[in-house]
Amino acid sequence: MDISLIVVQAFNALFYASILFLISSGLSLIYGIMRILNLSHGALYMVGAYVTYTVVILWLGLDWFSMILGYLASILVVGGLGILVERILLKPLYGKSHDLQLLLTFALILILDDVVKMIWGPEYRAFPKLPGFSIPVGDFQVPIYFIFTVLLGFSVAIVLHLFFTRTTVGKMIRAMTYSPEVASALGINTDRLFALSFGLGAALAGLAGGVAVPLYTASPGMGTEVIVLSFAVIVIGGMGSIKGALLGSLIVGFSRVFMVMLFPVMEIALIYIIMALILLVKPTGLFGMEMRERR
Amino acid sequence: MRLYARDLEVWIGGVKVLSGVSLDVSEGEVVGLIGRNGAGKTTTLHTLMGLVRPRSGKVYLERDGVELEVTGSKPYRIAGMGVSLVPQGRYIFPDLTVMENLEVAYGGRVPEGLLNEVFQYFPELGRIRDRLGIHLSGGEQQMLAIARALVRRPRIILMDEPLEGLAPKIVASLREVIKRLRGEGIGILMTEAGNIKRVRDLVDRVYGIDRGEIVFSGGIEDMLRDEAVRRRIWGV
Ligand SMILES: Nc1ncnc2c1ncn2[C@@H]1O[C@H](COP(=O)(O)OP(=O)(O)OP(=O)(O)O)[C@@H](O)[C@H]1O
Ligand SMILES: [Mg+2]
Repeated sequence: MDISLIVVQAFNALFYASILFLISSGLSLIYGIMRILNLSHGALYMVGAYVTYTVVILWLGLDWFSMILGYLASILVVGGLGILVERILLKPLYGKSHDLQLLLTFALILILDDVVKMIWGPEYRAFPKLPGFSIPVGDFQVPIYFIFTVLLGFSVAIVLHLFFTRTTVGKMIRAMTYSPEVASALGINTDRLFALSFGLGAALAGLAGGVAVPLYTASPGMGTEVIVLSFAVIVIGGMGSIKGALLGSLIVGFSRVFMVMLFPVMEIALIYIIMALILLVKPTGLFGMEMRERR
Repeated sequence: MRLYARDLEVWIGGVKVLSGVSLDVSEGEVVGLIGRNGAGKTTTLHTLMGLVRPRSGKVYLERDGVELEVTGSKPYRIAGMGVSLVPQGRYIFPDLTVMENLEVAYGGRVPEGLLNEVFQYFPELGRIRDRLGIHLSGGEQQMLAIARALVRRPRIILMDEPLEGLAPKIVASLREVIKRLRGEGIGILMTEAGNIKRVRDLVDRVYGIDRGEIVFSGGIEDMLRDEAVRRRIWGV
C-alpha cells in the first residue's frame, strides 16, 4: 500500500483522537470526581461547535485569530453553562438516586438539541474550508489544521496534568475525589469544587466542539455519535483517568480510521471488541483505579 | 471557644442512631466519648461537624461570648470556624504526599513556620514528607491525620478513635501529643471503644454512650465505679 496514504491516515487518526480526547477527558473527569455519568456531554460538545461556528463564520470571518476567539467563546459559554447546570439542576440531586442524575443529563440532551434548533435552525452549519493551508504528502494533502489540533490536544493533556499535580486546587479536587466528606470536614469548599469540576469538564466538551466544527460541521444531534464513542474511550482507558482518556482516544481513533480504510464492515465493531477484551483482562480499564464505594 | 450539642436526634436509613444526645467540649480540655462498637460515637462527631444533619436538636458554637447555631451547616463552614476532624480510619488522601495532604487542608503551600510547628509534634512526618499517603504505616497515617487537622490552627479537634489499632509505642507518643495540644489550649473530643485504660489519665471528663444515648457524664473514675453504667457500656 502507498506509504503516503498511511501517513495521511495516521494524521487523520491523530486528529480524530485529539477531538475524542478533548471530549472524553471532560466526561471522564466529571465521572471520576463526581460519579456522574454525564449523558449530556455530547450535547455540550454540540453547543461548543455552534458557538465557534457563530463567532468565526457568522461574525468575524475565517482566520486563525477568530478561531482562537471562537474556542475561547466555546470554553466560556459551555463551561458557564456547565456551572449553571451543576448549581441549579444537579446539586439538588446529590445524595439521591443515581437514576435521577442520569435522567436529568438525558433530559438536557433533548433540551439543548431543541435550543440549538431554535437559535440556529435545523440545517447543517458547515465551514466553507478548514483554516490554514495543507501540506502535500505524496498524492495527498494533510491540512495544517490537523497538526494544530493534535498539538492542541496534547497541550490540553499536559495542562490538565499540571493542574492536577501542581496546583493546590487540583490537589484539593483529588482529595475530594477520594472523600468529599473528609475534604469538606478539613475546610475544603466542596460545593465550589464540584461546580468547578463540572464546569471544567463542560468547558473541555465546548472546546472539543469548537475544534471539531471546521471539519465535522455543526448539526443538532451531532453529539450523539460522539458520546457513544467517548464512553468506549473512557471504558477502555479507565474512568476518571486523564492518561486513560489519552490512550483510549488514540486506540479508538486509530482503530476507527484504519478499519474504515482496511475493513469498513468492522469499523465500529472492532472498537467494542477491543473494549470487551480490555475489560476481560482489566475490568477497571487500562489506567482505572478501583473506585471506592461512597458511604 | 465551646462546641456543644443539645438533644440531637439522628436517623440514618430509617434507623434511629442518636437520641437526646447533648454534650460539650471547650478549649483546653480533653473530653472522652466512650462506647462500644455501633454505639453512635462516629455519628455524634459527624453531626457536630455538619457531615450528618440531625432530625432534631441543635449544634452550637460559642466564640468570644457569641453563640452561633451551626446545626446542619456545611462541614467546611464549621471547619472554617476552628473545628477540625481526625476521622476514624484516618482517611489520608492516598495519592497525595504527606506535604500535599497538609497543603490541601491548609488551602495552599503551608508556610515554613507553621510546618515546623506541626513537625515539632511529629518529627517522623518531616522525614517522610514526600511519601505518598498510600505508603504510610498506620501510625504515620494517624500522625498525618492529626497534623492535617493542626495546619488549620483549630481551637477544637474531634478525634475519632485516634488510638485504635496502633502499636503501643505509637499510642504512647500520640498520648503525649494530645496532652501537649491541650496544654496549647486546644480542646479535644476523642472517642474510644475498647481500651479504657489508655485514655484513663488522658481525659478531663467523659461521656458514656450506649445505643445512641448518653448514659453517663462526669469523671472517668466515677464512670468506672458505676456498676450500672459499666454494664450498659461494656456489658460486664
Ligand atoms: N451510613 C450508615 N448506614 C447505615 N447505618 C449506619 C450508618 N452509619 C452508622 N450506622 C449505624 O449507626 C449506628 C452507630 O454507628 P456509629 O458509626 O456512629 O458507631 P460508633 O460508635 O462510631 O462505632 P465504632 O466503634 O464501630 O466506630 C450503628 O448501629 C451503625 O450500624
Ligand atoms: Mg466509629
